[in-house]
Amino acid sequence: MASSAVDVRNVWKRYGDTDVVIDLSFDVQPGEVLGFLGPNGSGKTTTMRMILDIVRPARGEIEVFGGPPGVEHQDRVGYLPEDRGLYRDVKIIDTLTYFGALRGLSQSAARDKAMALLTEMELADAAEKKAAELSRGMHQKAQLIATILNDPDLLIIDEPFQGLDPVNADMLKGVVRERRDRGAAVIMSTHDMGDAQMLCDRILLIDEGRRLLYGTVEQVRDAFSDGAVQVSGQDIPDSAQTLECVTDVHAVDGAMRYLIRDGATPQDLFRELAAGGAQVDQFAVQAPSLDEIFIRTVAGDPRAEAVR
Amino acid sequence: MSERASGKSSHFRLTGLVARREYLRTVRRRGYIIGTLLLPLGIAVLMGISVFFSTDGFSDGGGEASGAIVIVNASGVPINEFDTELSSLRSLSEADAAAQLEAGDISDYYRLPEDFRTSGQVTRIETSSGLNVSRQIGQESSEALLRYVIRDALLQEAGVAPEDAARILQGVTITAITTEGSQVSGADIAAAIVLPMVFAFIFMISIFMTSGYLLQSVTEEKENRVVEILLSSIPATPLMGGKIIGLGGAGLTQVAVWVLSALVAIPLLSSQVPDLGPIKLDPTMLLLGLIYFVLGYLAFGAIFAAIGAIAPGNREAQQYSGFVGFAAAVPFIVFSAFITDLHSPLVLALALFPLTTPTAMLLVLGLSEGVPWTLVGASLVSLGLFTLLATWASARIFRATVLLFGVRPSLRQLTDAIRSPH
Repeated sequence: MASSAVDVRNVWKRYGDTDVVIDLSFDVQPGEVLGFLGPNGSGKTTTMRMILDIVRPARGEIEVFGGPPGVEHQDRVGYLPEDRGLYRDVKIIDTLTYFGALRGLSQSAARDKAMALLTEMELADAAEKKAAELSRGMHQKAQLIATILNDPDLLIIDEPFQGLDPVNADMLKGVVRERRDRGAAVIMSTHDMGDAQMLCDRILLIDEGRRLLYGTVEQVRDAFSDGAVQVSGQDIPDSAQTLECVTDVHAVDGAMRYLIRDGATPQDLFRELAAGGAQVDQFAVQAPSLDEIFIRTVAGDPRAEAVR
Repeated sequence: MSERASGKSSHFRLTGLVARREYLRTVRRRGYIIGTLLLPLGIAVLMGISVFFSTDGFSDGGGEASGAIVIVNASGVPINEFDTELSSLRSLSEADAAAQLEAGDISDYYRLPEDFRTSGQVTRIETSSGLNVSRQIGQESSEALLRYVIRDALLQEAGVAPEDAARILQGVTITAITTEGSQVSGADIAAAIVLPMVFAFIFMISIFMTSGYLLQSVTEEKENRVVEILLSSIPATPLMGGKIIGLGGAGLTQVAVWVLSALVAIPLLSSQVPDLGPIKLDPTMLLLGLIYFVLGYLAFGAIFAAIGAIAPGNREAQQYSGFVGFAAAVPFIVFSAFITDLHSPLVLALALFPLTTPTAMLLVLGLSEGVPWTLVGASLVSLGLFTLLATWASARIFRATVLLFGVRPSLRQLTDAIRSPH
């Protein structure tokens, strides 16, 4: 596992009498985005803080770039917390320089890099302004700059789209993709399953500190696929009796939705339809959205076992 | 990857970064600059006033009345006229005196009525009743001289020998000396009480101003939601260490400015105000004062940092810290106990109770003859141990509670935080 950017093994964390993270294991590889999903209070932020060494686990092990988390790796990490801000009465360029210096850059390099990013994000005019003088959108951009100032190899972003205006949300999505393409590992916690589906290579769903789902988006969606296939075209059968591999069929939005028998595959259905003379225009395997999977998993759907 | 600082980020480097930033940010604050310069400016203003009142500039507009006395003597007391370089006394008729006053040749004159021997009443007649401070002070010295002259005339009239008359008029002087033969003057005693109190007060104010900066720094970063970004870059220990060093440095700079001002001002004040007596600053006391300042700041700073982490906002933080700050002021409230008996149980208790140790010991040092080394040692041990304990507990509370935004942690959470390493 030495090549993992992050490796979390059987980690527990307890606050008072409550276990907030229970026997959690996962890893994040360079060049991938891991979506960290779960309801409020499920332990996502605590887990991120443990990876960042802000809090420490009661049991288990965490490795960041092959070593224990801590100050040795801090200059390779960028973090955008859920609760984020800037010094209100300090110039933006000074705040960014300070943050960059704390992340391992020299003062001059931090200042130059901050200025370059401010210019790139069309915020150069705000460099000498205090945070209190900036608009909310400008604040968000400046916070994003603070996160990527040190060209991090590991980007940890907690509910990054919360409160972002659409322009900055798009910009952040671009940054996430660009970082991943450049080989950085990204851990992104989010409530928005659409964002997770769009941006993440793998997802980790936790609830009450326990891992419920873990795998690629495709693996997870396949596991929850109920065997439904939606078909449109001409001479499409509307009865299950004529098709051996189907248990049920009903019309949906001008198409037919077939429920495939256990042991059969969508390919079996396609062959039967072709053999019966149907002219197929569209053939789509129906998989639930991550939203549906989230709800079903938390409700205890046994199919989650396959991707736990 | 962009250019990184040479070598891996170390705690030392991070502590230095935070310390440098906190120091520079604090010493550039308007409040700090005003607070630091207020004392030297205050001393300068006081000295300016003192110099002004003691020079010729002060006597402008009232000079003719300061030494020239005119009397209208109907009392029969044999007062002789005189005219010296410094003062003069002339006896005129009521009409002449009134005419000279009217003409502006004199600003006032004194009337001794016929029944003066029984009433003792003298009346001053002057042209206007308006307030003229310099003239009034001139009149006070004239009237002191007039009283002396009248008493002297009465004594001579009664046939009292000149030496006895002089003794009666000049009074009796009592001088105190120690068993070693050195003089003890009232001014020494006043200086011995006032100076320690002033110094202890200055040090106490410094401790609280500096601890206040620490409180402000923590609450500001918590309120602005910057603290989590910081803690993801720098562990809690170097973050707190950097703040304590940087802000402590700012506090020491302030104390240094104040002490240097005092070192410059005190000899000047001593020469300006002879009644103040000889004032000396004992280097041992200054050194011990600095030690108590540093330990006091660390102890209160640790408590204030924990308060900053616990308090949901700046207002609550100020309220909580006010309770702690009150403890340090207790020695001033019971100051009379220090003057009465430095060995009383109350003084000893205040000297050894860590929250009151810095101010109590600064008072004890100032008021003692010599350094009470046993008490100094005991109080330093007590304060040192408390500082270590407070710093240790504060670091744990800080780490556990600083990320609780808008929530006041329960007592249980605080005790859990102190017991738990993470």
